Amino acid sequence: MLNKKIIPIILLCTVFIVVIAGLAFAKTDHKDFKNSRLDDCKDCHNGAAIVGNHGGTREHRLLAERASNNCSDCHQQSFCLDCHNGGNVDVSLKKSISQTGETMPTTHRSDFISIHPIKAKDDPQSCYRCHEQRFCSECHAKIPNPGNMQIKGHTAVGNTQRYFLVRGDSAANNAAHASEARRNLQSCEGCHPDGRVCTTCHVLSPGAKVFKTAH
Amino acid sequence: MRLILKLLSLTLALLAIASLPARSHAAELSLTSSTQYLWYQDILADKKENDVAQYLRVNVTKLDKEGKANIYAYGRASQQVTSDEDLKGRLYYLYFSYQDALNNHLDLRVGRTYVHSAAVSGTIDGGFLEVKNLGPLGITGFGGREVLFQDKAEVGGGNAMSGASVYLDAPKTTHVEVSYGNKYRSSDLARENVGLDYTTTPVEMFNTYGRVKYDTIGDKFNELLFGIKLAPLKDLLLKGEFVETRPTFDNNSIYAFFAVDRYREINGSLEYAITSAYKFNLKYAKEYFGEDADANVYDIGLWARPIPDLTFNGSYEKRNGFAGQLSGFRFDAGYDIAKAKIQAGIDYDDFTRDDSRAGTAKKYWAGAGYQFNKLIGLTARVEWDVNYRDSDAWQGFGAVNVNY
Repeated sequence: MLNKKIIPIILLCTVFIVVIAGLAFAKTDHKDFKNSRLDDCKDCHNGAAIVGNHGGTREHRLLAERASNNCSDCHQQSFCLDCHNGGNVDVSLKKSISQTGETMPTTHRSDFISIHPIKAKDDPQSCYRCHEQRFCSECHAKIPNPGNMQIKGHTAVGNTQRYFLVRGDSAANNAAHASEARRNLQSCEGCHPDGRVCTTCHVLSPGAKVFKTAH
Repeated sequence: MRLILKLLSLTLALLAIASLPARSHAAELSLTSSTQYLWYQDILADKKENDVAQYLRVNVTKLDKEGKANIYAYGRASQQVTSDEDLKGRLYYLYFSYQDALNNHLDLRVGRTYVHSAAVSGTIDGGFLEVKNLGPLGITGFGGREVLFQDKAEVGGGNAMSGASVYLDAPKTTHVEVSYGNKYRSSDLARENVGLDYTTTPVEMFNTYGRVKYDTIGDKFNELLFGIKLAPLKDLLLKGEFVETRPTFDNNSIYAFFAVDRYREINGSLEYAITSAYKFNLKYAKEYFGEDADANVYDIGLWARPIPDLTFNGSYEKRNGFAGQLSGFRFDAGYDIAKAKIQAGIDYDDFTRDDSRAGTAKKYWAGAGYQFNKLIGLTARVEWDVNYRDSDAWQGFGAVNVNY
């Protein structure tokens, strides 16, 4: 029964690949266009395929992570790493310095420490494309008196330390804590990298799925 | 000190390789160096700090007659001069590359190199190979020790990363790729992903692209992205995207036990080139965080080059909803005068974080560069920051740049 379904799919895929193989094309070498202005790209790329500055933030990631990408026709790896790993060998004047002395990409506007709790919410996973989780925890761990930080999900009872002292608080406050944890679990990890603080109230066992439904 | 010696030995080795005649063929050497002096307000030490950083990028190319064998290296050493902190360094990459081997069917990179796929990507000490031009098909594979950078240095150890992909490149700029990747932490499997990427332009004015990334350990989708682009006019581009991401954690993390909400975003944007000297863009994004929490983000921008060598760039962003409100603009301008260039800009953000802090963050910056000749140039940048932590903070850098 299963084979009857799979065989047509395999046949269709094979036909598709053979047809496409017959239409194989040669990719254009872009090395000669290395020093062109972006406007000049429109001489060939005048449709919706690739326009503007390589398609913007999300689309450029897809282009760059593609196995057969041709980024190296024009760019060295340092071009990528200077934004994603904090460098500035080509000395861009637009790049600012972080408050730990690292060069930052221009996406980090004004004072990023002031606004990072807001900007990090615009696609939270985008932070982790350049920063390891320890980037957050190493900085947050050095904050003097972190118990006084005003963190949503803790603030129903004043501050982070007190929250856990009065964990028998109202059901509404506990529900708010659970909601915030679901929306911002990586933020929790920023201050509590090993998560031991969770186990002071919650009992976890390997393989347990209790929180998958209870939270 | 050891790092400086390492970098010096690396440079000397690469210079030696470049100067060696190989079968009466001399390799080509290009070298980019930037020696920088930086000053900034260290938030953790709560005092002003000064650093000296030395960047060095060396390319030794055309090691063989056909120009297929090349060596690329890039690193940085930095020393905080206002503390007794040790010298720190990052070797971003150092790899040997051999391209178009076996009748243009094989590319190979060995050493420290950036590797990529939809499933995983990052820097490794290891190898990357691509078997290509098998008709429209190609295969890539990579593996090695994962390299992580943090706090101006290299961190971590015992991590490994590997992956592979199969792709199909076809006419109409169609690309379809299936990839697999994993990460190990101290010999335990921490992450395992399967990815699917596609892009196609069936007609010139329409393009669609997308990515699906599935976390096989967490048994959930880590990322869904689908986009469409429409170019009804040569200078007008309309774009729409659906994005869904979900946090995933290492298999051995306690956080892997917890349920999480998805982040969803639907956005639409418009880019229009009024003339080649004036471009305008507009974007709206609706963000969903789960459990009735959402946000709206509006963005408008203008780029202008009224006369050659003079550019202006301005944008305004307005955000309201979950996590806080933000209203801010960015503006910068640049002018090139023969061998000199000057640039300056302002960032201004008025923000209100949920249940926390409200205020403004302002950044004013200016920079200049002068290229004495093809070999040597000078660059400097100064920045003044006014925010809730500092009412008068200055930072910047000066750099001596060498291109050989």
